Amino acid sequence: MRLNSTIKTVFALLLPLLGVQAAYAQDVVKIGYSGPLSGGAAQYGKNVLAGMEMAASEINAAGFEVGGKKYKLVIVPLDDKYNPSETAINAQRLVQEHKTPAILVPHSGGSFALQTNNEAQKYLLLSYTSVPQVTARGNKLTLRIPPEFTTYIDHFIKHAMGKYGKSLAIANADHDYAKTWTAAFKPAWEAAGGKVVAENPMSYNRATDFYSGVSRALAGKPDVMFIGGASEPTGLVIKQARELGFKGGFVIIDQAKMDEISKVTGGYAMLEGSIGVLPLVENNGPHVKNFVERYRKIAAGRDPSTEVSLNYTAVHATAIAMKLAKTVSDATAIRAQLDKAMKALPPANNPNDLDGVAENGGSSANIQVGVVEGGKVRPVNLRAAAGK
Amino acid sequence: MDLFFQQVLNGLTLGGVYCLVALGLTLVYGVLHVPNFAHGAFYMAGAFVSFHLMTAWGWPYWLAMLGSAACVALLAVLAERLVFHPLRHASPLHPMIAAIGVLLFLEAAAQAIWGADFQRMQSPYTGIVDLAGVTAPVQRLLIIGAAFALVVIVHLFLTRTVTGSTIVAMAQTREGAALVGINANRVAMLTFALSGVLAAVAATLYAPINLVYPAMGHLVITKAFVIIILGGMGSVPGAIAGGLIIGLAESFGAFYVSDHYKDIIAFTLLVVILSLRPQGLFPNAAR
Repeated sequence: MRLNSTIKTVFALLLPLLGVQAAYAQDVVKIGYSGPLSGGAAQYGKNVLAGMEMAASEINAAGFEVGGKKYKLVIVPLDDKYNPSETAINAQRLVQEHKTPAILVPHSGGSFALQTNNEAQKYLLLSYTSVPQVTARGNKLTLRIPPEFTTYIDHFIKHAMGKYGKSLAIANADHDYAKTWTAAFKPAWEAAGGKVVAENPMSYNRATDFYSGVSRALAGKPDVMFIGGASEPTGLVIKQARELGFKGGFVIIDQAKMDEISKVTGGYAMLEGSIGVLPLVENNGPHVKNFVERYRKIAAGRDPSTEVSLNYTAVHATAIAMKLAKTVSDATAIRAQLDKAMKALPPANNPNDLDGVAENGGSSANIQVGVVEGGKVRPVNLRAAAGK
Repeated sequence: MDLFFQQVLNGLTLGGVYCLVALGLTLVYGVLHVPNFAHGAFYMAGAFVSFHLMTAWGWPYWLAMLGSAACVALLAVLAERLVFHPLRHASPLHPMIAAIGVLLFLEAAAQAIWGADFQRMQSPYTGIVDLAGVTAPVQRLLIIGAAFALVVIVHLFLTRTVTGSTIVAMAQTREGAALVGINANRVAMLTFALSGVLAAVAATLYAPINLVYPAMGHLVITKAFVIIILGGMGSVPGAIAGGLIIGLAESFGAFYVSDHYKDIIAFTLLVVILSLRPQGLFPNAAR
């Protein structure tokens, strides 16, 4: 009978805990996350999640009240290893087990997978990808968190072509996202009077070495190289190109972050003349500096990337939209308030200067890009540059 | 022509690293008949230990390589003692599953200890040599030199020393080796230790021109398996020839065809060679 009594004791101990859980359960709002937390892209996924959790803890600290009732906001993370089919399974779990009114997915493949059923299952998809197609398909419950990447293209071309010349070598990564970039960038470069002298996309995540790939791209004698995938391999590609004697400029797609690249290349010297998204730590705005400081404090000194800050803002905006819609479960009502919510964001919660959500669910922002000059990153405001 | 030699240089670099990794894998297979899927994780562990010794403890590069070789050798012996040895009488499926388990365990452990970040290992050899128009970073020349020196040392060890000969004897016939008084346990541990040393050295040589992260073993281990199948499972010369073939094929494929297709080229080569010689290039070299 000893076993029996042990079981009874365990039950007796567990019962109050279960009761407490049940009492809490009513007042909890869960936002789901499905992204890579293991494998090669683990750090990327962890950055996204860190931003979300930072926002959730700030929201809870300030008190999260919707429709006169107090709630606790909880992020429920699940690992999908960057695999869209696992994203779909995770979403089912999040919706059925955790009743999440919103799920954040930090890649285009997973976002497309969830768009097949998010309207039927009535949850909001917070999609962290700048691929325009995510909002072009008419899905009514999608928020595209970053602005479309196509907003960068004109200025990137103007800068690189003006400074280095018209010959372009395409040597970016070959996963879907990078291909979408190439498909938009190549015709725009040619329309601006440029010429593509070499086209050699490489598997940034699977290649053991970039020596051959880069020397093939350089054999066309380009003035400008169009590169980018995950930040660290992008750094290796730049290093390789400089070692092989490339003197021109780099156009870096928005997936790669120049501050992370500089850790691989040992500073900004090798990136001279590059143009890409502005690293958060190089942004001089007071609210951005404040955000960077706050993040460093909770993340043991790590620098935040835009993956952290944009998803941080997305969770804040969703929480405000819940308040405005006076519901924590009706995804359609929450989605309808997102534009207002985005405009109502306090600057402290909006380091990337997002300023609205369009009818199709795409966000817009007052974007800054970064140009490397004399070993330093100089911020360039896109709207100001276009106005000139 | 310069571009051609540049690809040769690159092919030799890759080939050298592949040789070392495949050599460890093929030795373990030859002696124990275990396809050690965890070998890629040993490689990864080797890079991380060197990285840690250099950054946290300030050890110089070569000393860190030795330290890492010792650590990974110990790790490999532990894996043999705790995992593979108890399974020696089980069906062949068990050690395979156990090997995958070791792989997952080591990867998760590395991520828990060092985080999921991409790390950069600094090498003291950052110079670039210009050899008649061919750009050759010193670290790459070093990889080629060190890898082939080590291959020669391993070869001499296996053929010229008694201890080394016991490994070859075990690979040729287990019962025969036992009959002449060779201690099977000792040889098993020795083989695993040697494979660990090779993996750690390969990783430490190659890491400065690449990145260090928990999933880094996947890239080389798939290639290493292709190499030992190509060369003949358990064959030492097969691993060396196979490593060079795959390294050069990748390098030339990426340059003259497309980076897209370089893996396809390597695998097509495997299919072609296996359809002509199903037993591999050097089937009976070790047994």
